[in-house]
Amino acid sequence: MTSPVISVEHLKKSFGAQEVLHDIDFQIEKGEVVSIIGSSGSGKSTLLRCINLLEIPDSGTISFHGQNILGGGLKPTDYRSKVGMVFQNFNLFANKNVLDNCILGQRKVLGRSNEEARKIALQHLERVGMSDFLNKNATKLSGGQKQRVAIARALSMDPEVLLFDEPTSALDPEMVGEVLDVMKGLASSGLTMIVVTHEMQFAKDVSDRVIFMDQGVIAEQGTPDEVFNHPKNERTRQFLSRFRESANLS
Amino acid sequence: MSIDWSYAWRALVKNWPMFWYGMKVTIEFALVGTVFGFLIGLVVGAIRSVPIDPLDSPLIKGLKKFGRWITGLYIWVFRGTPMMIQACFIYYLLRPVIHWGPITAGFVIISINTGAYMAEILRSGIQSVDPGQLEACKAIGMSNFQAMVYVIFPQAIKNTFPAIGNQLVVNLKDSCMMNVISVTELFFQSSSIAGSNMRFVEIYFDTAILYLILTTAATWLLNLIERRMSQDEDTAKKKKFFMEMSA
Repeated sequence: MTSPVISVEHLKKSFGAQEVLHDIDFQIEKGEVVSIIGSSGSGKSTLLRCINLLEIPDSGTISFHGQNILGGGLKPTDYRSKVGMVFQNFNLFANKNVLDNCILGQRKVLGRSNEEARKIALQHLERVGMSDFLNKNATKLSGGQKQRVAIARALSMDPEVLLFDEPTSALDPEMVGEVLDVMKGLASSGLTMIVVTHEMQFAKDVSDRVIFMDQGVIAEQGTPDEVFNHPKNERTRQFLSRFRESANLS
Repeated sequence: MSIDWSYAWRALVKNWPMFWYGMKVTIEFALVGTVFGFLIGLVVGAIRSVPIDPLDSPLIKGLKKFGRWITGLYIWVFRGTPMMIQACFIYYLLRPVIHWGPITAGFVIISINTGAYMAEILRSGIQSVDPGQLEACKAIGMSNFQAMVYVIFPQAIKNTFPAIGNQLVVNLKDSCMMNVISVTELFFQSSSIAGSNMRFVEIYFDTAILYLILTTAATWLLNLIERRMSQDEDTAKKKKFFMEMSA
């Protein structure tokens, strides 16, 4: 058995008096694609943000290759450079063009030469189909284009794990497909991914494992077949039936 | 109430060298005050907007809090007292120690004073940048400092350029307060001319016109730069890219 890349134990997080994550435990293995589903306010985005230390958990541990990152063993900046994040609102650097968005982190955090950083950036922009827009200002792209650049920016850092925080929720419907296609490609290339999503079809088709979160706990997890076709938990069933009504889930 | 228009014109021509000398000093003060004030404001504004991270050690947290407190004190004092008083107080206080002349002292005082205003302008500019920008920097492992320098500041400065530029116009006018420590700027020169001719209305009318010319020119120049800044953004990047490609 291989040791997990990221391991979360007894994680708790409150905002003010409200506890949004109660005692979360989960692991992710190398090469695994995990989807986290659940209704809004179930704590799934908070969990993802805790994993990248954008939110600081109140208690519990998060380990990266067995090393506790909350204990000061690993510098947050070093850890974050290995765990990429793709945001719902893209958050491309508004003062940079497409190419520079993918170069900045490589130069300043990884210390790569301009030439090398450029080569790697071009390679990933090609992969997401954005190599025709290198000089375009980040603010002047469509939502789908922005998200693809954001994915290329994260990939340029050669992350061991890539976190996606509802990557298609802010997109117009006709742009969802182009982003999901890129993500499917990444999943099949063996990249370790944690995806918080409302795209049930994507979660079903692409994930190795699905986690259903409800009211700050992991209510159910298993293979897509187990969770989608044979849910054990009543809340999971309710949640999925609501989705089946709105989208004709096969 | 009467004004002798022809005297006003003749006095302007006759005393032009003195007026012109004063204008040059005024321009110098406005430029020095704005440039150095901007640099001070950049540092102070940055200190004021450094986020206190829950992951910081107690020492760093303490230092950040102290930094906020001391910069808050600076802004409070320098925005809350007249520059004229600051000029008198600081000039005479430090003269026995550093033996400075009015020009040097004036440069320092107008810079420190402008810095307090610039710090607040830049702080609000930094706060107006979408917090997602900082998160994106952090998510790829950049430090707070790197995020500030490469991503947040460039956007904050662009957003606040009109307010920053306005400080140049303010300084063109407010440098007249430096006359209290006998800096020979435009107002000082004017009052010398007015006093020696005993013609106050006409001379100060001339002075007002000269200030108006200075501020109008500065405003016009700033508008031009602002327009250029928004226009050239894309073309400049294109140019840079093709130069790199062909190199």
